[in-house]
Order: sequence, then structure tokens, then C-alpha cells
Amino acid sequence: MPGIDESLLEAMRLPGARGASLVDWISGLALGAVGEAPGGDWEATAAETAELARHVAESGSLSAGGSAGDPEAAPGPGKAPEVEDLIATTADAYHLLRFVSTPFDSTVFLHLWLARHDGNLALARIRLAEMAERLVLG
Amino acid sequence: MTGAATGATTTWRAHETMSAALGTLAAQGATGALSGERGIVYLSAGRVVHVESAFTPDLGALLTRSGAVPADGWWDAVDRGGAQHRVGRRLVDSGRLAAGALEVCHLGALFDAAYFVLAHDTRARRFRPGAAHWLGAVRSVPVDTVVRESGRRRSLLDRIWPDSAIDTVPLSRVPGAGTTDLPARRVRTLTQVDGVRTAAQIASALACRTYHTLVELRRLAAAGLVTAAATAAPSAAPPPSAAPPPAGVPDPVGTVWDDPDTALLRRLRDALEAL
Repeated sequence: MPGIDESLLEAMRLPGARGASLVDWISGLALGAVGEAPGGDWEATAAETAELARHVAESGSLSAGGSAGDPEAAPGPGKAPEVEDLIATTADAYHLLRFVSTPFDSTVFLHLWLARHDGNLALARIRLAEMAERLVLG
Repeated sequence: MTGAATGATTTWRAHETMSAALGTLAAQGATGALSGERGIVYLSAGRVVHVESAFTPDLGALLTRSGAVPADGWWDAVDRGGAQHRVGRRLVDSGRLAAGALEVCHLGALFDAAYFVLAHDTRARRFRPGAAHWLGAVRSVPVDTVVRESGRRRSLLDRIWPDSAIDTVPLSRVPGAGTTDLPARRVRTLTQVDGVRTAAQIASALACRTYHTLVELRRLAAAGLVTAAATAAPSAAPPPSAAPPPAGVPDPVGTVWDDPDTALLRRLRDALEAL
């Protein structure tokens, strides 16, 4: 069963992978990171991407059909927001953020940085979703 | 239980604060348990392997109260693995929890407790060389990462809403304030605000990490939905002195744990509560 480091190393085997991390989107802490940090500093990257992920996770529009305002329907501790992943593209890179759903209180996502030249975004999205599930379910 | 084989308890005099003491112990590559006013930091070879604080739910509370691990499965792992300091390993080997899930929950609990131990850097009390936590090795974190993260977390709270009283006193909902369009996590937190409970008690009721509950409560305060309870009984909470977050929190378990044998006492408490 993979731990955090094994999961990140597995993500790094995807074509074009440059860096991968597991980040808490409320505190902005990187729980683990391998490879190169976008911008050179994992702590800064984690804090910035966490703020982005939080805005999306808490967005009433992007998680439309969700349970905002209804405590009965609110998900339990650690349930991932209804948004599954975020994708940002630049001229030379893809950034893929995948929310991880856990049965206990946690607020984490996987962040994979891919070189656009040899990265395959569709493949990476499918594989990262599988890795997120294996990380917490074994 | 706490691996005291290497003996003597050291009363800490050389260093004023927890972070200074931790820095020295890290440089020495020390192994053992450093107790402070707000919790205990466990080191192995100079790295932080676990932190406990009475102001935060421990790993067992996070896992069992959320339903991630059934209570009997947790106790079975504690009973079978506790004496060998292999409870975490036992949970994974018995198939009750994925290795990644254990690491994520453990780091969540570690940094949560560390925030309360370090954010207002109080005096170190004593160091017990060789003491190990019954959970066993899960992941270790450099001391400077833990210290830096705790400081960063404190400034994050102040950026959201610069009123540290929210962290410590009983909280009330503001009557008539609309609560539509709130994210689900914030709604769950708001429903626990009842004019009596403090942030730490709300976190415990939700089986959530306390720091993450503080973030939601400060955002609710910033939105004008939550305020310090007007009827806060002075006897229940000492006046929030220059306000270290947990200073005025009525201790959720009734006493301040300062001994590595906390684990045993917590188990007893949890078992009694479960009756």
C-alpha cells in the first residue's frame, strides 16, 4: 500500500512530470513533495495553490448542486469538496490539482506539474484520480 | 509504555522556550519527549515524530469519531501494538487503514497539536530522553519545519480576522445574520456554535482538527456571523491574557497533560466515555 512519498513518486513516473506534492488547502502546508518546485520553493507553492484550491472548493457556483447552507446535507469530516480537480495551463506547462477524499478530517489535494511538451493531460488526470484513491483507501 | 529505559527525566533550565529547546535537541539528534505547558513533542534522532496537546483531538479521536476506523479496531491495535510502539503499523498491517491515510491523518494531528504547543512559545518543562510514543514511527518532520509552520499558521489566522479572543472564549451566533452561500465546512462549524462552547470544544464535537476549526471560526467572525459570547462566565475561562490562543480555553479534558503517560490516561478517558 502506498504512503505519501510512494504516491508522489508514482505520479513523477507520468510522462513530462516535473514536480508533485500533497498540500493541505486550509493551512497551505505541503505534507510531502518530490521533484522540482514550480517557482523553486515548495512552501510558497503550497501556500499559493492552497489559496486557489480553497476558493474553488468553497465556490457556490463551481460546486453548484452542492449542499451550501444546508447543514443536513453537509459532507462529513474530510469529505472532499464536490469539485474533483483543477487544471491550469501555461505556454510550457500543465498544473493538475486533484482533491483527495478521506474518511476522517483532512483537506488535501495532489498537485502535479507537467511539462507541456511531453505531458499528457488526459492520462495524467485519470492516473492522478486513481492515485488519490489508492493513497487513502489502499 | 513510554520506553523510559534510558532513564532520567531532565528538567529543562538551559532554554527559555519550547522552540529554543527543540532547536538544541534537533542539533544533538536527540530522541525523547519534551513537555511544555501546552503539550508534548516526541523526537526521534532529532526529528519530530509526534506531538500531543490537550487542545487538539488526537489521532485516535480523529479516526474513530469520524468513523474511519471502528472504535474496537482502534483499541485492538492499541492493545496489541502499544507496548511495542507499533500502533500505527498495526492499524495498517491489519488492513484497517491505508498507509497513506495513516500518514495524512498523523501529519494532520501532528501539525495541529504543534500549533498549540508552539504558536505562543511557552517554556519547556522537561525532557525525557529515550521516551517514545506508543503510536510508533509514521512520518518524521524536521524541527525547523514544524516551528516555521506554527508561526505561519498564526499569521494566517490574523490575516483572516485579527481577534485572537475567538480562539479561546465561548462563542455565540449573531442573531439575524444570513447564512446562505456558506461552504459546507463552515456551515458544519457554525451549527456547533451555541453560546457555551469554545473553539477547542467545537473541534472535538466535530472530530476535526482544532486549527482548521479556528480558521473557519475566524472566517465566520469576519463575516459577522459569530462573536464572543456576551455571557462568557469569567470563572469558566481565565481572562484571555495577552492571548496565546489556548490560554483561556477551558481544557476540554479537565486537566493539562504534561506527561508522556498521557497516552494511557487518554485511553482510560476514552474508554470511560464510550461506556
